[in-house]
Amino acid sequence: MDVKYVNAFIAGLIEVSGMLGINSLARTGLNKRDHLKTENDVNIILGLVGDLKGNVVLSMQETTAMKVASKMMGGMPVTEFDVMPKSALCELSNMANGRSASELEKIGVMTSITPPTLIHGRNMISLISQVETVVVQFSAQEGGLELNIAIED
Amino acid sequence: MDLAQTIAPFVRASNHVFKQLLDLNINKGQAEPEGDNFVSQGFTVMVGLTGGWQGWFFLDMSQDTAIKLAGLMTGEAYDNVDNEEVLLAGAEIANIISGNALTDINNLNSGVSIRLTPPSVFAGEGMSMFNVKLNAYSVLLQTDAGNIKINVVMKEAK
Repeated sequence: MDVKYVNAFIAGLIEVSGMLGINSLARTGLNKRDHLKTENDVNIILGLVGDLKGNVVLSMQETTAMKVASKMMGGMPVTEFDVMPKSALCELSNMANGRSASELEKIGVMTSITPPTLIHGRNMISLISQVETVVVQFSAQEGGLELNIAIED
Repeated sequence: MDLAQTIAPFVRASNHVFKQLLDLNINKGQAEPEGDNFVSQGFTVMVGLTGGWQGWFFLDMSQDTAIKLAGLMTGEAYDNVDNEEVLLAGAEIANIISGNALTDINNLNSGVSIRLTPPSVFAGEGMSMFNVKLNAYSVLLQTDAGNIKINVVMKEAK
């Protein structure tokens, strides 16, 4: 997978997060995913079809997810991980990927994206798109985030 | 778009694929109500759909059933869902089912031309999937390998 695609996803997430009040988000690492286990209980998945085909998964721990949702809703306290924070996070992911899609369009890569779905569970293992997955780590005041990018060229 | 146009083609395709690929009969199919979330039995394959209609197809089963299906597919014995081959087998089954169903949908509804994303597989404890457009009813297919639940999220693209 070409690095210019990865950059479009990183830029999309950072820009949209900033717009929604998560200002401290910064990229901390990038590597290939080498195991199926994930420590994160909240995963938001989005599919891509077009010049690029694959899935992008934004994942984090539940405590981080609640803090992010609270920030997005203007500081409203979130004590339970119910429909409200779930739909806030889906929207974050939707906007970030929409932004990334228009970044990709600028370099001539046309894609369409599916609506997001949030997966919540414990002790999860996952296989994304059946291809090599690039993991980009982010850190913010709210906690750590991971962006899993699994794209077939 | 109604249930007959969205979830029914997936039920037909599942029936066909389980029979042809795995020699597995579906004894009974029934609707099962879902709440705000799609509640997983422990192993879920998700295939994204884009085009004139966009959404997701969920193929869900217990980890035990996933291990059995992988065994039926490859002829080998697996003891843990942690095995990558079990995940790949689940992904492949969902891929074939959604391929079949989409051929049906695209033929019946001109101009819709839905396309598939590669499947992703999630397994874990107490999993639930949240999507704003989730179908209020899943279809539960009873087979000799265990219960297999399917749900389809579908909305018209803006």
